[in-house]
Amino acid sequence: MSLLHRIEHPDDALNWHGDMPTEGRYTAGIAGERFFREIKEKGQFLATVCLDCDITYMPPRLYCEECFSHLDEWVEVGSWGHVHTFTVVHRDLDNEPLSEPRILAFVTLDDADGGLVHYLDEIEPEDVYLGMRVEAVFRAEDERQGSISDIEYFRPV
Amino acid sequence: MIGDRVAVVGAGMTKFVRRAQETPKELAWEAAHLALRSCEMTIDDIDAIVIGTAPDAFDGVHMKSEYLSDGCGAWGKPVIRGYVGGGTGVFAAIQGWYHVASGLFDTVLVVCEEKMSSCRPHPQAAFLTIFDHTTERPLKPNLLWIFALEMNAYMNRYGLSKRDIATVSVKNKRNAADHPAAMLGDPDITVEDVLNSPVLAWPVQRLDVSPVTDGAVALVMSANHVARRVTDRPVWVEGVGWNLDTAYWTNRDLAYPVYVEEAARMAYDMAGISEPRKQIHIAEPYDPFDYKELHHLEGLMLFDRGEAPRAAADGVTQRDGDLPVCPSGGLLGVGNPIAAAGLMKVAEIFWQLRGEAGARQVPGNPKRGLAQAWGDLMQVGTVVVLGV
Repeated sequence: MSLLHRIEHPDDALNWHGDMPTEGRYTAGIAGERFFREIKEKGQFLATVCLDCDITYMPPRLYCEECFSHLDEWVEVGSWGHVHTFTVVHRDLDNEPLSEPRILAFVTLDDADGGLVHYLDEIEPEDVYLGMRVEAVFRAEDERQGSISDIEYFRPV
Repeated sequence: MIGDRVAVVGAGMTKFVRRAQETPKELAWEAAHLALRSCEMTIDDIDAIVIGTAPDAFDGVHMKSEYLSDGCGAWGKPVIRGYVGGGTGVFAAIQGWYHVASGLFDTVLVVCEEKMSSCRPHPQAAFLTIFDHTTERPLKPNLLWIFALEMNAYMNRYGLSKRDIATVSVKNKRNAADHPAAMLGDPDITVEDVLNSPVLAWPVQRLDVSPVTDGAVALVMSANHVARRVTDRPVWVEGVGWNLDTAYWTNRDLAYPVYVEEAARMAYDMAGISEPRKQIHIAEPYDPFDYKELHHLEGLMLFDRGEAPRAAADGVTQRDGDLPVCPSGGLLGVGNPIAAAGLMKVAEIFWQLRGEAGARQVPGNPKRGLAQAWGDLMQVGTVVVLGV
């Protein structure tokens, strides 16, 4: 049994701190670039379609996960759907209470397979139910930057 | 030899670039897609997937192979990720081999990917924590320290000059000028260019080192009966070997890579090779630094200790020499997306033995070649011997 199991405080054993000082610079990729530019410029969603597997990928993908073929069939899909499941978040990453609990929902889109996890707003947590109709609320055009945060949240239709 | 013979039947790679717009998944898919297409197979023909990728911190994605899986064709299939640092690329081919040799799978798609441009300010930072947190990190170490100390030890043991070693960088960057996927090919580079490049950690100068790179490579490996069906030119895996030295770099021989020798002996025994200098016709040793190609050629017993630099000076390792070494252009010329770079070496031997290497093709119809990588905490050797 190590010393740390028998001492009162971690600092009773010699110790020091260090970090791994890296940050990531991520690209959206070939499919993602087109998806986010469409959101930024037009405030709408694009998807790619695998005609062989009958799957509409939203967010769009460059290739079909199932048959591995290249996808170049692009379609516009509506920004509405329904709540597949949801949670109400009360604490932040540091375990501090949020001033206002936030609703986080997995929204399945009507015109696509899969969907997005995003915030739900303009509704009280106790009023949310599975299957509830919702739509995306986009930020104003001059505030959009081509990121997932260009969607402010989903709200009930 | 365990089980049935295993063949490499297809290979593909992305262009190696400084900054890819593609996501890591998209890079992996492109290489995998090209490898499948090269042997007219589809993902449905593949029984299992091997993913090779180096530190998660490079792509900035923790549990990177899980993230990469769909780009590697892993949907609905048995999947494994092996990881031995820089040795991963060649080790992934070894894993592909034992998946098939075990009899468990007839076909395996091996995919290696690295996107190092994501890691800011420099991928070096991701390596800071490989050093011992008690005895080394307080010194603010840089990965180059290990290589600089090792290179100096190697030079001093055999009385080598910087010029003796710089010829490797020149050869590989010139070879890479003929590679359509290469990042740093340069037909006009000279030894003087290398010797005049900035000193990073003496004796390591900038042009002694391979670049930070994004890219992916994939292989299709199969059992004998599948190989016979899909190609009339299978390339057989004749031997595999891997070996680990002590994790303490202060407790190993920095001037001679014993772990490479042990890995090579394992592979040579399996391949029935008793005289590697005569029986290996072409070699792709791991060359993230120019001295490492020489170091590894000696560990592979292709040259006596301390003799590889003279052979290089005499032209033996040129593409048209007696033992062409890194005809691809290697990591110094094609680029070094860590795991993908190792698998690129296996793919290069595959292309060379099939006579498909285009402008890089070595003369003389080579029948047997070797790919080797090195990594982990700079103490692992991984070796694959291929033959036709």
